[in-house]
Amino acid sequence: MLTKPRLALVVPAALTIAACGEPQPQLSFEESLQQRLIEAEPGDVIDIPAGTHELTRSLSLNVPDVTIRGEGMDSSILSFRNQLQGAEGLLVSADDFTIEDLAIEDTVGDALKINDSDNVTVRRVRTEWTGGPLTTNGAYGIYPVQSSNILIDGSVAIGASDAGIYVGQSTRIIVRNSRAEYNVAGIEIENSTFADVYDNVATNNTGGILVFDLPNLPVQGGRNTRVFNNSIVDNNTANFAPEGNIVATVPAGSGLMVLANDNIEVFGNEFAGNNSANMMVVSYHITGLPINDENYDPFPESIHVHDNSFSGGGAEPDSEPLALLQQATGQAVPDIVWDGTTLPGKSAPDVICMRGNGDADFVNLDAPGGFAAPSFEIGPHDCAGEELPEVSISTGP
Amino acid sequence: MIRSLPRVLAPAILSAFLLGACAEPRFFEQENPQRLSDWNLFRDDGSRFIPREQTLVFAPANPLFTDYAGKLRTMWLPAGGQASLRGDELEFPAGSILSKTFYYPTGADGILLESVDHENELDRQRHRMIETRLLVRREDGWHAMAYVWNEDQTEAFLRVAGASVKVSLQRSSETEDFVYFVPNENQCAGCHVTAHPDGPLHPLGAVPEQLATAGGHPSQLQAMRERGWIEAAPARTAAASWQDSRADLDTRALAYMNIHCGHCHNPDGAADTSALVLDGRHRNPVELGVCKTPVAAGGGAGDLLYSIHPGAPERSILLYRMESSEPDEMMPELGRSLAHKEGIALIRDWIAAMEGDCPEPMRAFGNG
Repeated sequence: MLTKPRLALVVPAALTIAACGEPQPQLSFEESLQQRLIEAEPGDVIDIPAGTHELTRSLSLNVPDVTIRGEGMDSSILSFRNQLQGAEGLLVSADDFTIEDLAIEDTVGDALKINDSDNVTVRRVRTEWTGGPLTTNGAYGIYPVQSSNILIDGSVAIGASDAGIYVGQSTRIIVRNSRAEYNVAGIEIENSTFADVYDNVATNNTGGILVFDLPNLPVQGGRNTRVFNNSIVDNNTANFAPEGNIVATVPAGSGLMVLANDNIEVFGNEFAGNNSANMMVVSYHITGLPINDENYDPFPESIHVHDNSFSGGGAEPDSEPLALLQQATGQAVPDIVWDGTTLPGKSAPDVICMRGNGDADFVNLDAPGGFAAPSFEIGPHDCAGEELPEVSISTGP
Repeated sequence: MIRSLPRVLAPAILSAFLLGACAEPRFFEQENPQRLSDWNLFRDDGSRFIPREQTLVFAPANPLFTDYAGKLRTMWLPAGGQASLRGDELEFPAGSILSKTFYYPTGADGILLESVDHENELDRQRHRMIETRLLVRREDGWHAMAYVWNEDQTEAFLRVAGASVKVSLQRSSETEDFVYFVPNENQCAGCHVTAHPDGPLHPLGAVPEQLATAGGHPSQLQAMRERGWIEAAPARTAAASWQDSRADLDTRALAYMNIHCGHCHNPDGAADTSALVLDGRHRNPVELGVCKTPVAAGGGAGDLLYSIHPGAPERSILLYRMESSEPDEMMPELGRSLAHKEGIALIRDWIAAMEGDCPEPMRAFGNG
């Protein structure tokens, strides 16, 4: 098609463009990192070098089978202390995702949010708000939601104004070998199924570990969670969650709280020094919030608590009914607290079975009776609860 | 380097050739060129930036707020190409290009002004162009990208990772300094992929109900038909517009949410985790957030208990998040740095007019 004269015309034009074309804008670390995340191909490893890297905007990844890898959670630091845009530090919507050996610090909102992803590994990642427990801190540290086959291993979450490690509306979950401190909720499993939470340390949070099921969510019916071999100690930090959020109702000094979840097995944990109560099992009604969701079951059932060790705690309850109980008895709040609510027709052992917990004491608060007649009888709960199977997950493509 | 040189130069050579030949917009099937001018969508007469006459300048019936910027939108279909109606969308042929140039009228001393008119061309003496976004229809679907204008307003460069542009904006007597954010390509998908996360990218403005009529223009669908870009103008009612002062409050409020919230807050959207459905099509009170407590709003809850507290806009999280400009609190999350005062006023009036009340929680167990 092209004739020779035309070609001759074209070449100088191209040369002119090349000559007077302006230089491309130089990319900052943050821009080039975001560009790498956008242009990544499945199978890629994106390295985060050692050093503190300042970012002003959220990062995001939508490409499957990508690994983001730093040189250690105390070496490779993505700092968002000057963040101007975005509701999270890193937002991932991608299957077969791995992130490891780095830290995400001081995001304005959530640190690491993983939405709608399958096969997720978060390994040796630290999320932290470095100014301590402040209401202005972001809500969640490590935050998979509506995801599946999730492994959170060897990670650290500090300072979240909602939950340090929060898994919501998800299924097939392992949270292990991790440490959560100075969060409102240390580790929270919410509206999720088939979770194993073990060998973690939850300390100095408002509530150590929460297993919740809430109404009006597209995924609900939380059940089948095992909480075992964790150290749940001294979770007495004053609640610093922004009002309005469900965790803002959690009393400081809550060790483990199970709310409206079913089929929960709690064993081999060390509970100590949680000053509202080491463990609580409650219905959603205890929040006093309205329920306008006819598909929602607000009552916990089949909670199996066995072979844990309990010590201290209950000494300074941050909850009116617990404080009144303490005044009435002159004793610390018992280790295990149940609000006493059941579905009509259900009885005490349908809700909680307890064995082998040493000299742990117990109270049924009689919330349905207006807390008028609390009972300390552990006998009705002396039953062999169900042992749940190990959670197996597949991670990696 | 040597291997890549011809590939870089080829489009430039070809576009330079076409520039002389027929001055048509140029479609790139594979690569995204680094310069906006390579697409040849606009003519530059030295002072003005003018859409090629082969393109159709259009405006949607129900527009999105973007920091009071003006938007010059163009549509182009390749020669012989025709769009077909598929459900509520137009299926554009491969090779189609939609563009949207964000600009502000300029005032004294580099201050920028709120855009109030629809411009059909931009004058460098009177306008400051910030970015031009493209939606390009390729064989495998739509692709989104943003080009950021240089200081001299002579060229816009592809910025895959977006950009941050400092702006001083004067509205009535107030001047506000803010950072205007050009979206990165994932953020483009954040709104243009409405079925999270694996749905297709698709236009939000170039859809039949948005094109049916706008701002007193004759039907833009008719204009498309006259160009042979559609077989027949589909009989469509224009989308309700939040700006339509003749419409009732409910219609305007739902129209506002449809365009500002619905891309994420729909039953398949990224924000379905919140169970708030704000696409203007669902009217179930709980889905709208009436007496609904937040799930994962964090500070975005603004120390408030309910998304919508009927009759009490000041106690409603929805309004709080519209008023906030904090990145972790504000809604929508993307597309603005400034609060949209007119939108806030509309939603405030809408909530204030709602009947009913929400219960006060007892806080039996908590410390509140």
